[in-house]
Amino acid sequence: MTEQSIIEYLGTPIFGICLSIIVYLIGEWLFRVTNGFFLFQPLFVGMVLGIFVLWLMAHSLKVDVAWLYRHTYKPGGDLLFWFLTPATIAFAVPLYKRNDLIKRFWLEIILSLTIGLLIALYCIYLICKLFGIHDAGIASLLPQAATTAIAMPIAEAIGGNPAITAMACIVNAVIIYALATFLLKAFRLNEPISQGLSLGSAGHAVGSAKAIQLGSIPGSMASVAFVLISIVVDLVVPLFTNLLGISQ
Amino acid sequence: MKNKIIHTQSSAEIKNELPILGQMGSFSVILFAASLISPLFPKAFPVPAPVIGLIILYLLLVTHLVKLEWVERFADFMIGFISFLFVPSGIQLATSLDILKNQGLQLITIIVISTIILLVVIAYTATFFIWLKRLIFHRDVSVEEV
Repeated sequence: MTEQSIIEYLGTPIFGICLSIIVYLIGEWLFRVTNGFFLFQPLFVGMVLGIFVLWLMAHSLKVDVAWLYRHTYKPGGDLLFWFLTPATIAFAVPLYKRNDLIKRFWLEIILSLTIGLLIALYCIYLICKLFGIHDAGIASLLPQAATTAIAMPIAEAIGGNPAITAMACIVNAVIIYALATFLLKAFRLNEPISQGLSLGSAGHAVGSAKAIQLGSIPGSMASVAFVLISIVVDLVVPLFTNLLGISQ
Repeated sequence: MKNKIIHTQSSAEIKNELPILGQMGSFSVILFAASLISPLFPKAFPVPAPVIGLIILYLLLVTHLVKLEWVERFADFMIGFISFLFVPSGIQLATSLDILKNQGLQLITIIVISTIILLVVIAYTATFFIWLKRLIFHRDVSVEEV
């Protein structure tokens, strides 16, 4: 097949939409038949399977994977991706439903997120140094607590690679969605407010959706965390990199 | 779970719930306003439209300009969908396969560790501040599920 005919047959949004839905449904099915084996989280399976399908197609059609992605999957993928915008706004509802908690704990929330983020940033910095990651790599990994749309421009501004930042954000979400219950148990995190704040910060919108499943307290705390942490990252990360002398 | 189902049923019956198209309308108007505000922020301090939209909807709910039953059902529906909506972002990694090939294992390891660090550090910090409020400032910190 020539490149022209690939675009002609697969270049419409419906290819990307179909592929996304089918791989996700396969993930859901696998998750169900294995009684919820954590590696078979629908999001994780969908992502791996989708990339594998594109890679397989690129190899059999002898084109570049990135080229194939841009011309066949992206039109439909972008369409679905857009719906994350109203889905993000929707988190105002669980947040508002427990507004009583926000009124009582606003100071603790702000302090925990700011100080917690600073400690976490320093730990991430140390881990990167331990692995021998260069400054550009560190700059790409530091903004990952923010939502992708904030993390990427910040990474770029402090001299990182936005593609790595985007990867970090999506991997965060996948890990938290798959391992949240296990991690909360392993680290004995039983306090519902702490559970919510940490799930929202580490797992972004997906982590907040997970927290909502745990209850209305973690749900509302995660919703506030995932917005606030983004803004804290916005303010703190550029200063932090300046302090450590990473950014140019 | 049972409680939740009863709750949504009763809220649909008792309150005057806005039809789904109306709920989508509320979201669209908020989103449109947010997309007008978002470019006003400087490049060094990006605040994307969805985040502004969330804050606007929260403020509208708090000030009772928007009623919960105007947005609740569509919001629950969208949140239930969110992990599917992240599939395209995941598949987008197909364009970064060369980064993954060169330093993938190391990078993924660090990202996994960072995720756990973020989760654990923020959770313990929050627990510490709640403990502080209870023991040092003698405030009531008991919370109840509804």
